[in-house]
Amino acid sequence: MKQKKDVLQGTLALMVLKTLDVLGPLHGYGIARRIEQISGDLLAVNQGTLYPVLLKLEQEGAIASEWGASKNNRRARFYRLTRQGRKQLQAETKDWEQTAAIIGRFFDAKTEDWS
Amino acid sequence: MKTLRRFFQRLFHSAARREQEERLREEIAEHIALQTEENLRAGLSPAEARRQAMLKFGGVEAMKQDYRAERGLLLVENLLGDLRNAGRSIGRMPGLAAVIILSLAIGIGANTTILSWIQMILLQPLPGVSGAANFLLVEPRNEGGWYPGASWQEYRDLPKQVPALREVVAFQMVPFNVGETGKTERTFGQLVSGNYFSALGLKPAIGRFIRPEEAERPGTEPVIVISYDYWQTRFRGAPGAVGQKVRVNERDLTVIGVAPREFQGTMFPLKFELWAPATMGPALLGGTRDLEDRSSREFSLIGMLRPGATREEAQAEFSTAMAQLARDYPEASAGIGGEILPFWDAPRGPQRMLISGLAVLQGVMLLLLLAVCGNTANLMLARGSTRQREMAVRVALGAGRWRIVSLVLSENMLLALLGTSLGATMAVWGTTALRVAPIIGAFPIQFQTRVDGVTLAFAILLGVACGLIFAAAPAVHLARLDPQDGLRSSPNTGPRNRARKVLMGVEVGLAMVVLIAAALFLESFRAARQTDPRFRPEGVLLAAYDLSGRNPDEASEREFAARLLERLRALPDVEAAAIATNVPLDLHGIPARTFTVQGRVRTEAGEDRAIFNTVTPGYFKVMAIPLLEGNDFAEMREKAAPAQAIVNEEFVRRYLNGADAIGRRIQTRAGTFAIIGVARNSVYDAFGEPAQAAVYFSYRDLPSMEGQIQLRTRSGNETALTAEARGVLRDLDPMLALYDVRTFSQHIDRNLYLRRIPARMFLVLGPLLLGLAAIGIYAAVSYAVSRRTREIGVRMAFGATSGRVVLQIIRENLGVITRGAAIGWVIAFVISVHAITKGEVNLPVFIGVPAILLGVATLACWIPARRASQIDPMAALRHE
Repeated sequence: MKQKKDVLQGTLALMVLKTLDVLGPLHGYGIARRIEQISGDLLAVNQGTLYPVLLKLEQEGAIASEWGASKNNRRARFYRLTRQGRKQLQAETKDWEQTAAIIGRFFDAKTEDWS
Repeated sequence: MKTLRRFFQRLFHSAARREQEERLREEIAEHIALQTEENLRAGLSPAEARRQAMLKFGGVEAMKQDYRAERGLLLVENLLGDLRNAGRSIGRMPGLAAVIILSLAIGIGANTTILSWIQMILLQPLPGVSGAANFLLVEPRNEGGWYPGASWQEYRDLPKQVPALREVVAFQMVPFNVGETGKTERTFGQLVSGNYFSALGLKPAIGRFIRPEEAERPGTEPVIVISYDYWQTRFRGAPGAVGQKVRVNERDLTVIGVAPREFQGTMFPLKFELWAPATMGPALLGGTRDLEDRSSREFSLIGMLRPGATREEAQAEFSTAMAQLARDYPEASAGIGGEILPFWDAPRGPQRMLISGLAVLQGVMLLLLLAVCGNTANLMLARGSTRQREMAVRVALGAGRWRIVSLVLSENMLLALLGTSLGATMAVWGTTALRVAPIIGAFPIQFQTRVDGVTLAFAILLGVACGLIFAAAPAVHLARLDPQDGLRSSPNTGPRNRARKVLMGVEVGLAMVVLIAAALFLESFRAARQTDPRFRPEGVLLAAYDLSGRNPDEASEREFAARLLERLRALPDVEAAAIATNVPLDLHGIPARTFTVQGRVRTEAGEDRAIFNTVTPGYFKVMAIPLLEGNDFAEMREKAAPAQAIVNEEFVRRYLNGADAIGRRIQTRAGTFAIIGVARNSVYDAFGEPAQAAVYFSYRDLPSMEGQIQLRTRSGNETALTAEARGVLRDLDPMLALYDVRTFSQHIDRNLYLRRIPARMFLVLGPLLLGLAAIGIYAAVSYAVSRRTREIGVRMAFGATSGRVVLQIIRENLGVITRGAAIGWVIAFVISVHAITKGEVNLPVFIGVPAILLGVATLACWIPARRASQIDPMAALRHE
């Protein structure tokens, strides 16, 4: 149970970093929307789960936040990627690609390869 | 790295909790507002748009929990929460909390104060010297087991022969008459070796210290180091004090430096004002031969162990060295060995007595603290029972056992910590008060006690231990609680009844022991005050003089005393005057020495001992001690009469079987004396002492440098004689100062000073402990009764009278109390008979104290029992 949550959190964290990398500073709702658009229904029910992840990333120093004005001029908390976060993103992207490649090859293997 | 960083962030966030919470709330509101707008644009109705937004966001509370878990340190926050909770719950019981905190504070404060004293003696015997505990006493010891001190020549020899000691310093206590002729005042100083200050590792407040070469050759360097207090009072702390001249024993000495503020010399607990090179001794003390004469053992030695060396090594080397000295100088050192001793075991000074006394006191105080803990545990148990429902609700809502335990624990810990901080404050206040209090006696004494890191740690440790002790019972009790039981109507079973009763019994037992001890102490003290000393102290003025600065011989000592007495007796208000070497009821006691008396055959082994006092003619008149037989001593200048002695009744009874004493001879180390009179017994060392045998010798035969002048006034106002007596002494010798002037009553009060401290302590402790025991019993009984409300109601509905109910409750509890009291009584009795009164039993105390204790206990049972019995049976039955 806990493990599953950790996996979700890890994935989410990577998504948040990537989103901020691509779109620049963004508030929580914006990040949620973006992840929803791209990942389909991962956040369809539990947008709130995003916030603990944001906090964890901020504590780790991967992202920073400050108050700013949203589009309709309301106070909103804007998150941006720090230099450390960018490094972390690159490292994790590489990791992820390697893992994905290995797993992919693994699943792609034909029956005869197993014998 | 990352983990560490997160930890600190979390710590920080835990602290900034409110702000964080606010931020999250705002972010959520913003998020939902944005989503709602989005939904509105998609064409939903406002209400539906908001509902959908909320749904999409998910469970806010669950998310908040995650967020909080992520944000702070759960453990720390729970603890803080518990503490807040504890604070609130303590706030709801201010009376109870005050009782607990105050009793704890008293217990911890007393214990900490006593520990600071013990620590001072063990670890800090030389105030102002760091690492003083590393210094050891180097004490020559003769065959008789006495410690005669070391000679200057021995000091010069020893360091080379005892390599285990890195440094050995020598010092000697000397009285100084300071000031211009005719206006001298008496103070105490030390003659010290050249390495004294450097070996002690001291830094001068200003100026410099004595250099080693300044204590090499006799009489060359007229320099002196003054104490910080002396500098402040005589020179007002002016830097110009260095280089000034001070007149000491009619010699001008140049002040070269000021000792550090805390330093008071090296003879605990005496406080010295001046330090001069030992080589100045002959010049200051009228040409003593202390520096050359090996049999003049006037110095004390202390040494510091070389790193890596042990006391045993030093002891072995010292013994060898002393044996060698005994061979080399048989006339001065034969039969003299030596011991290396720690400071607290010093043969001179009050350390041994203080340490054992303090250890006993510490034991009693720890017992008291234990009683306080027992009480608090009982109170908390009683209170815990009323909180069963609260705890049951908490458990039902999902609080784990550990959460409950930590909740109870934090509440008790908070109480314990509040008690500890108050106790530590009391200890700081107490030690400071004692530190400041000047102890005026024959010698200036100062105790520099303080509450430092070690004592503070001890206080905190005690506090935490107390908290754990009295939290344990309620915590275990509440944590075991079945929520269903707790929520159900008032539970009928009393699961921890036995523990509570045992606690109550133990506490009563403890109270019994301490109360009896207190009563015995007060009783002996009261008896002491009322005992007739068998001499008349009223109307007598005491004062001392000291000729040591003149280095007089016997003839001049005798002549001086004779002239002094003549002049004093000529004063109009003086009815009688005398001089004695010892004053009865002195803090230090009067020496008892061995003798043989003509006509006495000893049947058993050992030696006869009696109190020795040397007095001038007229002594018995001043003291109003009647001479039962014979006459007073011959006049001071009478040369023909043989050496005389006067003995007391007890002497005649014990050593002469009541036979005629007059004319018999007494042989002592000082010579042979003829008994010329028998004096009535009187008190010598302490009020209430068994009769002691005493021998008085005449000043004429055994003159002394020091004398205690005793003047009986005609008018009854003895203090008025002070100025005249001073004038007489000044006329006789302008250099001498009259010192230690006091009335005989003041002298007796001083003797009782040491006894008075514990007496006062017990006076406070006794009632306090009785109160504590009463509170404890009250708490236990009211708790037990509150759990039996229904049972009592049923009984009364069936016709039991309230009187019978009360009686039954009292009987049940009194059983436990009586058992505890009986055990305590037996312990107190055994200790008292074996250790304190040595076979005598003080019946009023051993009957009175239990009576009072049981009376109070019954009252403490009766109040809650009475309350319970007055309940309306119907209401009791309806009571859930």
